[in-house]
Amino acid sequence: MVPPHFHGRGGRKMKKNKGMIVAFSLPLTLALIIMYLYPVARTVLMSFFKIESVTSSMSAWSFYGVGNYAKIFGSPTFQGSMKNMGLIWLVGGIITLFFALLFAVVLTSGVRFKKFFRAAIYLPNVISAVALATMWVQYVYSNDYGMLNKVLEFFGLEGVKWLSSDNKFWAMLFAYMFGAVGYYMLIFISGIERIPADLYEAATIDGANKIQQFFKITLPLLKGIIKTNITFYSVHTTAFFLWTKMFSPVNTEASTIVPVVYLYDTVFGSQGNSGRDAGAGAAVGVVLTAIIILVYFVMNRVLKDDDLEF
Amino acid sequence: MARNKKEKKYREPWNWSKELRLLPGYLIVLIWIGFTAAFLCWILGASLSTAKEIFSGKVFAFESGVHWENYINAWQAQNVAKFFGNSLLYAVTACIGTLLISAPGAYVLSRFEFFANRPLKSCLIIAMSVPAVMIIMPIFALTTRLGIKGRILLILLYILMHVPSTTTYLLNFFATLSKTYEEAAAIDGCPPGKTFWIIMLPLVQPAIITVTIFNFLGVWNEFFMALIFASSAEMTPVGVGLLQIVNAMKYTGDYGGLFAAVVIVFLPTFLLYIFLSEKIIAGVTGGGIKG
Repeated sequence: MVPPHFHGRGGRKMKKNKGMIVAFSLPLTLALIIMYLYPVARTVLMSFFKIESVTSSMSAWSFYGVGNYAKIFGSPTFQGSMKNMGLIWLVGGIITLFFALLFAVVLTSGVRFKKFFRAAIYLPNVISAVALATMWVQYVYSNDYGMLNKVLEFFGLEGVKWLSSDNKFWAMLFAYMFGAVGYYMLIFISGIERIPADLYEAATIDGANKIQQFFKITLPLLKGIIKTNITFYSVHTTAFFLWTKMFSPVNTEASTIVPVVYLYDTVFGSQGNSGRDAGAGAAVGVVLTAIIILVYFVMNRVLKDDDLEF
Repeated sequence: MARNKKEKKYREPWNWSKELRLLPGYLIVLIWIGFTAAFLCWILGASLSTAKEIFSGKVFAFESGVHWENYINAWQAQNVAKFFGNSLLYAVTACIGTLLISAPGAYVLSRFEFFANRPLKSCLIIAMSVPAVMIIMPIFALTTRLGIKGRILLILLYILMHVPSTTTYLLNFFATLSKTYEEAAAIDGCPPGKTFWIIMLPLVQPAIITVTIFNFLGVWNEFFMALIFASSAEMTPVGVGLLQIVNAMKYTGDYGGLFAAVVIVFLPTFLLYIFLSEKIIAGVTGGGIKG
């Protein structure tokens, strides 16, 4: 990758370049230290201290051992948030990736207007998620004039209170998945398009039908892409925040809470709860990071050696 | 390019038995897209109606006329003009600022060997996977102590937030350029720094455009940082601003204005997408950029 003559030892050229290398890499290095290295190190440290306010200086911290971790794992609210995140990961993940793969297969099967369809399905990823969530909450799920209840009414069925506390979580998850499918679909499409067409031609000549071809060619060759998508979906799940905030904007509700919202409320306070605890918030951050590391580790282990080359 | 154009002009003749076999596929996709379209059309209709019409389900009748004033109300009375201006400011400054840090950094990382090269590349990869929750608390404490507040705070954060992905994206493009450009420039006596700005940087222009589109979308749609760091209405961007409008709706009851605000927030990136969807879609799968 590096042009060989640039690592030449000594010489005037190298010296000339040295000044530029320092000047060009310094802002980048500083950016990484200020925005990533320092905050991550400090957050990890904070998770072992008792800290009330996020702005209190280090001298006001008192060592707490794993007290913060004990506190959050003992908190029913945090447990509930982890349970919700688990549901978003498992149920949401299966449905989202299923539809993403389905659309990817349909769009690469030779349909017309492929580019338009692909762009339309990806669209929700480009527009403001706040605007999107507002449309769902204020329109699709509305009791009075909502799209879903109008459709039910049309078929002579009774309207449903989609945003009651029993239904809210699933309503939120459905709206989230609707937006997310397009992103994973694009990644699947790029994987499918990389599979050589002659494999399918050979299979067709041998008399394999489309469904057999999907299970015997497409799916095995997509292993790496499926792994990528599961990794991305998992990482995105740990950052789940906006949809909960939009579906329960003022008071956090047990039915929709997720860890990042729990962290936000713990660190910055929420309505009806004045007790703030930055140390516990930091512990939540560390737990989520540990989950992300675990995901990368597991995904690298599980599908590493039998990655097919083509 | 020429070949591409030819391919575009060629249209497969309709083969009905083939299309029929694909019918289930067409149906699934059309239902999905039809839902999206119905949804967006209704919002557009509602943004031009009154609250009374919305509640009685007569959005497309426009019985009391088309209410363009909803947009004027949202723009002025509901502060959307301010939110919009802030978001525009953040998006533009962050795009430029990120490039000023990332492009030179990516250039030296991809073309010169020096002791910090590998560690920096590893840090970039790790930084891209660091969740925001690991960053916000120390940054909040630090900026409070240093007294950094107002719009400049969010501008700085948005610049720094996009540095790792932008640098990684540009790195791969700089690595593909031939070294003969630099050699020729050096022979002509052009100092290496100048060579970068006037010769190498323009060569990766397509990559810069793609990454800037993504950074623009990223900042425009950003919510989490803005919710934490936008402490006053003066510095609130559209995402958080829209949440405030929704929360105030209980008191104002101006549903037409609410949907007008939704349309205003949604329109800039939507229009960008209509013109640039091919480039955006190619960027999602081509460059390993977060969507």
